Formats: sequence, structure tokens, C-alpha cells
Amino acid sequence: MNTRADADMPFYFGPDRTLFGLFHACGTPARKAVLLCPPLGQDLIRCHRLYRQLAQALAAEGVAALRFDYYGTGDSAGNSVDMDWQRCLADTAAAANELRTRSGIDRVFAFGARLGGSIALASAAQARFAGVVAWDPVLDGRAYVTRLDAMQSALCLDGQRFMVPRNAADAAAQWLGFAISDSFRQQVMDLHVDRPTVPTLLLDSLSSDAPQPWGSFVADAAAVKCVQPATPWNDPRRLEVAILSHPLIQAVTRHVQEAA
Amino acid sequence: MQEQAFRFGRARHLVGIAGLPSPATPETVGVIVLNAGLVHRIGPFRLHVEMTRRLNAYGYPTLRFDLSTIGDSASSGESQTRKQQICADVGDAMNLLGEQAACKRFVLIGLCSGSQSAHMVACSDAKVAGAVFLDGYAYRTLGYHLRYYLPRMLDVKRWLGVLSRRHQATGNGEPTFTVAPLPQAVVRADFAGMLDRGLKLCLIYSGGISRYFNHARQFRECFGRVVSHPGVFTRFLKEADHTYILTGDRNRLLDSVERWLFDNFPVTTGGSP
Repeated sequence: MNTRADADMPFYFGPDRTLFGLFHACGTPARKAVLLCPPLGQDLIRCHRLYRQLAQALAAEGVAALRFDYYGTGDSAGNSVDMDWQRCLADTAAAANELRTRSGIDRVFAFGARLGGSIALASAAQARFAGVVAWDPVLDGRAYVTRLDAMQSALCLDGQRFMVPRNAADAAAQWLGFAISDSFRQQVMDLHVDRPTVPTLLLDSLSSDAPQPWGSFVADAAAVKCVQPATPWNDPRRLEVAILSHPLIQAVTRHVQEAA
Repeated sequence: MQEQAFRFGRARHLVGIAGLPSPATPETVGVIVLNAGLVHRIGPFRLHVEMTRRLNAYGYPTLRFDLSTIGDSASSGESQTRKQQICADVGDAMNLLGEQAACKRFVLIGLCSGSQSAHMVACSDAKVAGAVFLDGYAYRTLGYHLRYYLPRMLDVKRWLGVLSRRHQATGNGEPTFTVAPLPQAVVRADFAGMLDRGLKLCLIYSGGISRYFNHARQFRECFGRVVSHPGVFTRFLKEADHTYILTGDRNRLLDSVERWLFDNFPVTTGGSP
């Protein structure tokens, strides 16, 4: 019998119990709590294992953790086309409160990868986060949309995937397997994350040959930490390959432990 | 209808999401969706979420869950072969859905390795009434080779391309992990055994497995007269890829699965198929 598994409870919560969550309790009374904000789209699926490993690593260190899915994603209610940026922020705040209730800890930190990091940063005030750890967050929405559109277009001609090339119309209004609305597309395009108002650690695992967008975002260079190896977020050949990183888990766990 | 999350199983090691439409009757089959590879229970591009919710809307109780050590499920702690684990896990899943929705018979749905898992259980568990194999077992046949090589041999442009690339390295050198398929004769006999026991089988294969399957005719080439049995439905979705990344392809797949369920396992009350 795995008692640790028993401690990880799946449930629905939030408005009309539409949000899926999985609470990782610790064996001892929790000293801190971390909300794990998932990325969106295919990144959510690719990071699922890593998020579970991170939650278990935190729980083993006496830190309660909550994983959850935004409305229209994962096991939560709603269709993919219902994804909405403001709803993601509101769901994050609801999840932070759920974590406070379940853990008995008011001081909640947030972790997020890619758009999950952007959501954690953008919702920091609303969700009353004590600090944020953002892993390769998306700060330039327009460039991100351009890259997703290019990958979606290239998909139609991928001879490894399709026996015959597909028309652009077949791939319209979708990003890498997920239907998106015009409004959500515009919301991501307009994405602008203000400078963080809470202590923030940026974990950078973008390729070293890519321009690093953090300079104007973080005043204190010490708040940026490089994680190796580089994460292949945008490699179409690895679109369905899980993203795993023990250095990342160690970095997040250590940072949360050391946070005041 | 709201979905419900469960931790369940003989060691409370499994995590799953049940869709429980009401009213459910014992005559209505429960539908259980198995992991595709290592993707957690939502399925590739959320395929399993879309599938189970569409079936719930028609009155079918459903469960999508993670097998031992996949997704959010832990190990049971038992010393078992993977086959024993899978059979026991699916048995636990059938018990849960039976308790929650009163159904006594079940249809298993699996894509890729999920199809292999469904095959294992369908061979031996009397509670399984039907199975949907998505990109399940398949074998290169003479017909496959003719369809693959003949057009290439007659294509001058392709020859020129091959000659210009002959010195380029292929592959990225990374290891790949695959499950050795059962021998063709074994699968053929397994299908015959399932049909003798009254199971209904639905085989839907995609163009994404064109490395070893490239035409609707290949169902018969692989499995012989078994595919002519009235309990077998086959469909080849040539245009689709292996994991149904495009929403239109996903909808066509779900339409096919729904229609097969309506035809073979109609909902007796509730829902509106």
C-alpha cells in the first residue's frame, strides 16, 4: 500500500465545482504551500508528469501543493474553445483559496511553466501570492502567437504525421491539437505581464541561442536562474514527448524551502 | 451532469474521472477509456475528455482513468507482470463504474498501447461486451508492400531525391521504446475467441500508422475472415494522424465510435441516441 498515493486526493472545486484539482498533503503539518499553475495546450500534457513529480517532491519536504486545471483544460469542465485568459486568472485565484483552505496555510507561493508562469505572475495580486517561480514564462504574447501559428501551419505538411498533406482550412482556429477562439487568440496576442510586485524567481531554460526576454522584466538580475539543459518547448519533432527536468524540480524545491 | 473524481482500486492507487448520466440502467454498457501510451487520462489533445463527455450526453456512463504508474496513478505495490496489473486495474475500474452507475457490462476503448491493454482484458474478462481498438495490432502484408513500394519505384523524382540524400544521416539517434506486438496468428485467434464469446469489436485505424498499415483492405489481409464477422466493424481513416491532432479528424473519429456504440449497445433509457 502506498500511503503517499493515499494523500494525493483528486476532487472538483470552484464555481459550480467545475475545476479539477489534486491536493498533495504532507505527512506532517504543512509549513508552506505552493499552487502549481499548469501551462496551456500541449504544454499542459507534456508537463503533467513533471508537475506531479514536483508536487510530490514539495510534499516530501513538508510543503503542501495543489495541482489544478483551468476551465476548458485538462479534466476541468468546458471545451478547449472555451479557454479565456481572464477566466484562467480567476480560476487561479480560486485554486489559491482552495489550497489555503485545504492546507491551513495562508501564505501561498505559485509555480508555473510557460503560459502557466505568465498566469501566475498576472494573477499574483488577485490570488495574494507570497512569491512566484516562473519557468520560461511567456512575456511577449505577439511573438508567442506568431510561433504557434507557424508551427500549426507546418503541421499540415508534416509527412511523418500525415499520409497526405492537409489543407490550411483543416488546421484553422487551432493551436497544436486544441481548438481556440478568436477572443482567446487576441488575449494571448495582447498578453502583457507587468513587472512582478511579489518576490519572483525566473527559471530560464530557453535555448542559449534564443534572445532572452527577461532583461526589461526583472530589475534584479539575481532573480533569474539558468536551468540546464535547454527545454525543447518549440521543437515540432518533440510535440508529443513529455518534458522532464530533475534540475528544475530541485531548483523550485530549494527556492521554496529557502523563501522567507 | 457533473463529472466526479475518484481515487479507487485494490490499493486505492488509481485515479479516474467518471461521467455518470442519469438515469442509468443495468442494461446500459459502461464505457472505459484506457491510457494511450504515457499520456495521462485526458488523452492526446484531450481526446478522451471529448469522447467521454459526448458519450455521457447520450446516456453512457464512462470512466477515463490512469493505469498503475501512469498519469496520477501510483503502483499497487504488488508483484505482478504488466499484463496482470493491467487486467487487475481494468477490473478495479469496472467495479467502480459498476458501483456508481449500476452497469454490468463494459466496452473498453484504447488508442495505440491502450488498444493493446483493451485487447489483453477483452481476451479474458467476461464483463467485457465490446472493444474499440484505435490503431491496434496490425502487420505488414504483401498488399501493404505492393501499395507502399510500387508507386515509389515508378516515381523518378523520388529516385533523384533518394540519391541526393543517400549520405545524409537519418533519425536523431535517440532510443525508442515500443511494446513487441503479439504474433499475427495469436491476435487472429484472440479475435475469433472474443467473437465466439459474443463480443462486438470496432477497429478504427488511422493514416498515422502508415509505416505498417496503409489501406482498408489490410484489415482482411491481416486478420482474414474474422473481419467479415457481423460482430466486427472496421474503418480506415486515411487522412487522420495517429493521435488525431486536428479537431475535424477528432470529430470524425468520435462520430464513428458513437455510431458503432448506438448500433451495438443502444442506451435503453435516458439520453437521446
